[in-house]
Amino acid sequence: MDNTKEQLESVAVENTFLQLDHISKSVASKQIVEPFTLSFTAGQIVALCGGNGAGKSSIIRMIAGLSKPTTGTISLNDLTIEQHPEQYFSSLGYMPDDYQFTGSFTAFESLKFWGELKQQSIERIRELLELVGLHETGNKKVHQFSKGMRQRLLLAQALLSKPALLLLDEPTNGLDPYWMKRFVSIIDEAARQGTIVLFSTHQLQVAEAVADHIVFLDQGQIKLSSSYKDIEQQYGEEGLQTAYEQLFWGEEGPMKRVRS
Amino acid sequence: MMNHFTTIMKRELKVGFRNPWAYSFLALFVLFMLSMLLIHQQGYSTGYSGITGMLMNLTLYLLPLITLMLGAFSITGEKEDGSAALLYTYRLSMTSWLGGKYIGLLLVLLSIVTIGYSVTGIISSFTASGFTASVYALLFLFSVLLIAAFLAIAMVIGAIASTRWQALTYVIGIWFFFIIGWSPIMIALLGQLPYLWIKPLLTIATLFNPAEWIRVYIIAALGGGTIVGPEYYQWITWMTDPSGHIAFILLTIVYVLGCLSLAGWLWKRGRYNG
Repeated sequence: MDNTKEQLESVAVENTFLQLDHISKSVASKQIVEPFTLSFTAGQIVALCGGNGAGKSSIIRMIAGLSKPTTGTISLNDLTIEQHPEQYFSSLGYMPDDYQFTGSFTAFESLKFWGELKQQSIERIRELLELVGLHETGNKKVHQFSKGMRQRLLLAQALLSKPALLLLDEPTNGLDPYWMKRFVSIIDEAARQGTIVLFSTHQLQVAEAVADHIVFLDQGQIKLSSSYKDIEQQYGEEGLQTAYEQLFWGEEGPMKRVRS
Repeated sequence: MMNHFTTIMKRELKVGFRNPWAYSFLALFVLFMLSMLLIHQQGYSTGYSGITGMLMNLTLYLLPLITLMLGAFSITGEKEDGSAALLYTYRLSMTSWLGGKYIGLLLVLLSIVTIGYSVTGIISSFTASGFTASVYALLFLFSVLLIAAFLAIAMVIGAIASTRWQALTYVIGIWFFFIIGWSPIMIALLGQLPYLWIKPLLTIATLFNPAEWIRVYIIAALGGGTIVGPEYYQWITWMTDPSGHIAFILLTIVYVLGCLSLAGWLWKRGRYNG
């Protein structure tokens, strides 16, 4: 399990930067994501936090090229999806939230299929199965897998080409405490290799454990975008939870109201 | 690109052959072919006969429906499962994606039909009054062409529909229009027009319905061209000519490629607007 570093040794471009410039999204005249501008550099781990319908997945889908922003441009190392799709997508690893596996395939077959599409070797596929702890169950049909095992397989899929930008939509859903911890170390190592990691979550403890930049979203609006250190300094030890409560429920916060 | 194409095609083959549905369809098709063989043995005929006509009609009911469902569900299933979205980030070309799926599904369906025909052919060879080889080959060709054309239509349906249920609605509608409703609709509409317009308009209309032109072609090849009526007289003369065969094959290829291009265009237009 300690060979994470080797398995993730990245080809991520040094000084990679992701620029989200005046991005917004509206569907049928409803504003899903309010205009915002953000930029991230190589090695940053960014957590998009917020409740249901906050706009986390919409932002991730736009960056993954699955949904066109209503305004603004998205670029990775100055390469936009529209002008340089080949280069943009070849630098991207994406883990969707709403994926149903082909049940008749084994874990190995599923990863091999994606690996072939990304010209990856069988060794790389085995490496990744080991990284996510599925090497012993690789020949089992995916329909026999638990939610957590499927998530791990999807994570392996996103890591296939050692991407410069890793987009993970609710990656820790269904993970048990052990794999939650392993997820943190895998992501941490990927970032150390120069990958920008951007993930959505509604689990603040995950964001707290791994992210160095937090973006709080509510109803499509960025309420706060700040480094984790700054939040900790401003809000104290339970910084993220306190910040969340104050941003979403005001000074009192629902927990404090319950306690009193 | 070729690598992507074969990867998609191989996956489609695996999914197809692991699907219990494929074996249910195989059993149904073998049963259907054996029933036809038994009916055929009750009387002997060569070329186009009432029995071959019945076999063709029943094939026309069964194969397009199954093909449309399998093809359209394969595409909409990818949309519903999130697989289409994930594969989009892999930057597959439309040729690799739709072409790979088309060829993979085509091979699965052709395998089923080939097994059905082979089983019946082997049993038929032991009986005195089985189908003649030439008739049997043409009936097989009829099935192959129907699958090729309707699978291409299924790709278009799959590109338009968002869910399997929506696809099922379109499949039933198209199947009913092309297979069941076509003749009464043509009779009703063309009957309202001046006599001289009927033949050219019928020719143009026939080009839109592969079930119709494939049926006419095979009937002509079986030597039963007179039963399709005087409006098709020139078609029958042309189809039995060597140039007619080439033109007919080209027409089928153009129809398939046209449908796949349309499906690709619809897919591209629809997937990036979410």
